[in-house]
Amino acid sequence: MSGEPRDQDSQMAAQLKRGESTAIESLYDRYGRLAYGLAFRILNDRGAAEDVVQDAFVSVWRNAAGFDTGRGSLRNWLLSIVRNRAIDRLRGGARTRNELQLEAVEPTAEMPDVWQAVASDLERKQIQEGFRELPDAQRKTLELAYFGGYTHVEIASRMQVPLGTVKSRMRIGLEKMRTFLEARGVMA
Amino acid sequence: MNHAEAEELLGAYALDALPEDEARRVEEHLRSCAEHRAMAAELRRTSGLLPLTVGEGDPSPELRARIVEAVKATPRELAPSPATEPARGVSPVPLRRIARMPSWASRASRLAVAAAIVIALGAGGLIGYQLGHATQTQVAYTFQGDATAAPGAEARMVYFKDRKQAVVAVNGLPHLGAGQVYEMWLIKNGVPVDKGISSNPSGDVGAQISGDLSQFQQFAITIEPGEQQLPTTKPILVGNLQSG
Repeated sequence: MSGEPRDQDSQMAAQLKRGESTAIESLYDRYGRLAYGLAFRILNDRGAAEDVVQDAFVSVWRNAAGFDTGRGSLRNWLLSIVRNRAIDRLRGGARTRNELQLEAVEPTAEMPDVWQAVASDLERKQIQEGFRELPDAQRKTLELAYFGGYTHVEIASRMQVPLGTVKSRMRIGLEKMRTFLEARGVMA
Repeated sequence: MNHAEAEELLGAYALDALPEDEARRVEEHLRSCAEHRAMAAELRRTSGLLPLTVGEGDPSPELRARIVEAVKATPRELAPSPATEPARGVSPVPLRRIARMPSWASRASRLAVAAAIVIALGAGGLIGYQLGHATQTQVAYTFQGDATAAPGAEARMVYFKDRKQAVVAVNGLPHLGAGQVYEMWLIKNGVPVDKGISSNPSGDVGAQISGDLSQFQQFAITIEPGEQQLPTTKPILVGNLQSG
């Protein structure tokens, strides 16, 4: 796991906090296709996906002063914003979450951010493999939740299973992925 | 929400698949349960990888240019506000008596309270706690920084009525110069009361404030050359504590 991506991300974060708009261009060059891929996966509409990506980058720019580089990576933050805005657009709601908040999901600052270590294609392939390896029902549950923005109740209805089953599948699915990735050194 | 119920919901919580009220109840539980906080954090780390299962897309070439244009049209964070000659170190400078209330007090009262936004607090166990409304025992506030002096700054306060204590988290303040501090004030009938200082240079402040907030009308932050008994500069952030 090279240190390079972390340094580049930290550099970009520092530039953004200083108000250097060229850092947004660097951020886009680095993560724009990933951001778009995520938005498109959720919305399945080119124009809508591009709108969401644009809004997300502008949000990163606007909120950069408050971004705490100690809490996590720029990429994680950007993609969280993309995901939430895409879901909002898809489901027609507005999640009342401050986008500065999206980064601060770890309760302790010393929890290492997984994304810093996840830079190369190989690691991404492993994550994709870990996801594919999940039992169909668990994977489908995670997809509906993460990319479809459905609540656990809605998923239970769609999949025609009890709510308790959905809750378990969510937790177990995530835990299985973590175990898979820990075994391969993708997650510590 | 009991321990077992919360544990069942942690996966859904990590995936953002809970309706608002259930998510709030889980967060309430997490505030006092370290074991589940750790579990939730682990699950969030994993769910945070799900975007990587998707792979890159192929946006139109014009998207980049549109983003650059949009960013140029979006206000940037200002450089730190100019200050009076800063004192060396943090020792208090001689007090300046202010004969009458500074004119900014009435200006401050015209600033509107912004809609509720959550700000993570680095200490005090409120991380992830989504605030939105007053309860029997708590009142939540959000304040915005001054549009010129601290654009983009936001302060979030939770006041615990029974304890007469408030917890404040502020992000995005203009950075401090050498020897400067952020000073927090509660204002009662136009008179500011010193409620503490922070010298964190990065523009983020987390603090506890003691006091019966029902007796005060405003909260404010100024940048000072050391702790003062009364403010010597215009506030960079002001909020109304009483409705109306």
